[in-house]
Amino acid sequence: MTEKINCKEAADRLQDYLRQELTPELEEEMKAHIERCRPCFESAQFERNFLIMLETRAARECCPDKLRQRVLELLRAEARRG
Amino acid sequence: MAEPSAAVRTFDQEALPHLDALYRVALRLTGDSTQAEDLVQDTMLKAYRSWHQYRPGTNAKGWLLTILRNTFINDYRRRKLEPVAMDLEAVEPHAIYRAVEVDDPEGTFFSKIVDEKVTEAIDALPPDFREVLVLSDIEGMRYAEIAETIGVPVGTVKSRLFRARRLLQTALYAHAVEMGYIKPRER
Repeated sequence: MTEKINCKEAADRLQDYLRQELTPELEEEMKAHIERCRPCFESAQFERNFLIMLETRAARECCPDKLRQRVLELLRAEARRG
Repeated sequence: MAEPSAAVRTFDQEALPHLDALYRVALRLTGDSTQAEDLVQDTMLKAYRSWHQYRPGTNAKGWLLTILRNTFINDYRRRKLEPVAMDLEAVEPHAIYRAVEVDDPEGTFFSKIVDEKVTEAIDALPPDFREVLVLSDIEGMRYAEIAETIGVPVGTVKSRLFRARRLLQTALYAHAVEMGYIKPRER
C-alpha cells in the first residue's frame, strides 16, 4: 500500500486526530501513516501523554461540598418562590 | 416538605451533574476560588430561571457553560485587569517535542510537575487561549460545541487550541528545566 499522506500532512492533522475530529477516511490515512513512521508515532505519543496529563490533573479538581450545598439551597429557595 | 416539581427534578438530573465542570471552568476563567464560587452560584440561578429554554436531552453542559461564560464576561471580567492586547495569532511557539525527543520522547517530565504548577501555567495563558484549552482538553468539548459556546468559527477554535497547547508546553518545559526534571536542550 502506498502512503496517502506524508509527515508534514500528518503533523498538520495531529491535533484533530488526537481530538477525534477527523473524518473516518482521514483518520484511517493518519493511522496508516503513524503505524509506519516512527518519528510521527513518537511525536503523536508525546502529545497524547501531554493531554492525558492535563485531563488527569484537571479531574482532581471538584466542586467543593459547601458550594454544592449552597447551590442546592439557592435552587430550593428559588423553587419555593415560584 | 412538598415534593419537588417536575421542572426541579429535571433540572437536578440534567444540570447538577455538571457542577464539577462548571466550577473547574469558573476557576480557570476567574483565577480565584471565591469568585469562581460566586460565578457558579450566579450561573446555576440563571440557568434555573431560564430552564424552560433548554431542550431536554440536548447538550446541557454546553448550555450551562455558555451561561457561565456570558455571566463571566458581563459581570466578572471587568473586575479583573485585562492583559495588554497583543497579536496572538502571530505567536508561533516551537514544538517542545523537538527539544525532548532525544532525552524524554514520551514526555515523562510532565508527570513530575506538581498540580499547582500546571494550573498556574494554565492560568498564565492569554484568556482567549486559556478558555479554548480548558473547554477542549480539560472538559472534553468538541470543536463545534466550543465554537458555539464562545461564538467564534471552528477554525479560530482550532488555531487558538494549537497555540494554547504550544504555549503551555513551553511554560511547563521551562519549569521542568528549572527544577532539574529534564536536561535543557543542547543548542
